Amino acid sequence: MAVGRTAGVPAVRRRAPSWGRARRREAGTALLFLLPLFILVVGLIIYPFYRAIWLSLTDKLVGYPERFVGLRNYAYLIADDTFHEVVKNSLVFTVASVALKVVTGLAMALVLDNLVRGRNFFRGLFLLPWITSTVIIALTWRWMFDAFPGRGFFNSVLLDMGLLNRPIAFMATPAGAMAAVVVANWWRAFPFFGVSFLAGMQSIPRELYEAASVDGASAGRRFWHITLPGLKHVIIVTTLLSFILTINDFNIIYVMTRGGPGTATQVFATYSYEVAFNQLRWGRGVTISIFAVPLLVIGIALISRYLLRGSR
Amino acid sequence: MRRPVALLTGAGLVLFLLVILVPFWWIASMSFKTYEQIQFAVSIYVPKPFTWENYVGLWTETRFPLWLRNSLVTALVVTATTTVVASLGGYAVARLRFPGRESVASLILILYLVPPALLFIPLYRVLAELGATNHLSALFLAYPTFTVPFCTWLLIGFFKALPDELEEAALIDGASRATAFLRVLLPLAAPGLVASAIFAFTLSWNEFLYALVFIQDEKSITVPVGLNLLIYGDVFHWGQLMAASVITTIPVVALYVFIHRWMVEGLVAGSVKG
Repeated sequence: MAVGRTAGVPAVRRRAPSWGRARRREAGTALLFLLPLFILVVGLIIYPFYRAIWLSLTDKLVGYPERFVGLRNYAYLIADDTFHEVVKNSLVFTVASVALKVVTGLAMALVLDNLVRGRNFFRGLFLLPWITSTVIIALTWRWMFDAFPGRGFFNSVLLDMGLLNRPIAFMATPAGAMAAVVVANWWRAFPFFGVSFLAGMQSIPRELYEAASVDGASAGRRFWHITLPGLKHVIIVTTLLSFILTINDFNIIYVMTRGGPGTATQVFATYSYEVAFNQLRWGRGVTISIFAVPLLVIGIALISRYLLRGSR
Repeated sequence: MRRPVALLTGAGLVLFLLVILVPFWWIASMSFKTYEQIQFAVSIYVPKPFTWENYVGLWTETRFPLWLRNSLVTALVVTATTTVVASLGGYAVARLRFPGRESVASLILILYLVPPALLFIPLYRVLAELGATNHLSALFLAYPTFTVPFCTWLLIGFFKALPDELEEAALIDGASRATAFLRVLLPLAAPGLVASAIFAFTLSWNEFLYALVFIQDEKSITVPVGLNLLIYGDVFHWGQLMAASVITTIPVVALYVFIHRWMVEGLVAGSVKG
């Protein structure tokens, strides 16, 4: 590029033809190696996504041919009270559990970072919820919140401690059910936050802390002025990642509440399933998940910016 | 000065241990209780009398062994396909020069972030047109849509970290790209391949939404879907369900103990870099 401008030196002659051929061969090999990936991506991700957009423009009912209806599904949902509640529930569920995950993740990382011995052991142990099947986690928490003392952990403990004189049916009230699904989602994912934050903390140069200590900064100030700024990047990426996964969560809510009581915990994915597979309205069902796409695109664009910049 | 920090750390450690272990202990203890003990809330916190009857019942009275087999077959097939596709793709993006390489890398990252909940309805239609629903083959085709982008992304990182000289030496000695890849780079990337395979296995083993939607035939369902049949039946088999949870969690935990360090590195590699 700059070659032409270098005074007195003629532009470098193009390399020998064999080099160009080698380069083309390398690109050919790359294409060959990427072929299985491309087939999979086009056939099973991009094509279905295109079909999703098309379906959302039809009034497809199971057993009937699809008929183009333009944006009628979108208009219907925009005016639909249940869908408004679904959007609200999805946001409450996501914001509450992601916020909890960030705070407890930070606490977990601080505890592990300050351990003198056994850090790797406890880090491994704490990650157990993250590798356990979400269905099992959802079933377990469902019972821990059960109203029946022999099965419900919380009622058993509270009754034994004398804090209650009769069991509470946590999952029967809208707020209780929402709290229960938030807790289950939080419990599954906060260890991932903790481990990511720990890795971030360990990459902060120790000298910064030493210098601050010499200057007489308290532990609280060191956390506020060194640890948190050092973790900014990790916190942003982890939060965005979790936001995307949580706002599209299906497993925990389907298994714990099926969206109930009423529609108190119905979110994008569970409502989409309900409309498509119980009411058999596929067009409308697909449209519900498409409404989550703009949020998704923003999240993905931000994460890609952070991650791709980091990897270059 | 150090005392309060040490105390806080100790208290925090105990608190986190309780939060993490109590649900696991609740599962395990329930699985060893008799039906009556659970139903009449006798000695709530420990199984007394201790019994294996839930495990025996689960194995002989339900279709759990079949579900377990289906889950295992699915996870193994998906892990094998994923490893082949992702290592080829990851190698190409990390080590070969070709036009549009950066765009392919971004595409893989974007696909890794697309949640399954977005695609289950249209994917169901596509699989139905291929005649692949209601059978495990639906899952063989569907699961790579999330395992492959994730594992490719992971492996790009592993391949990039390997030194260039080894591969160049092999190429100068006259080896083809394919030979260099198979003989030189793959063995070096073994830790990455193992980590990626275990991720693929775990993701398939635990998957629920696609398995629920794509398969209705009770002979072809996997464990997570089967577990839900155990609750929504007429009788509540609490003990058996918890026994099933224990059995299902053990293989994943065993794999995880084996590679936990690599797994943590792979997990955080993406979010910490830079």
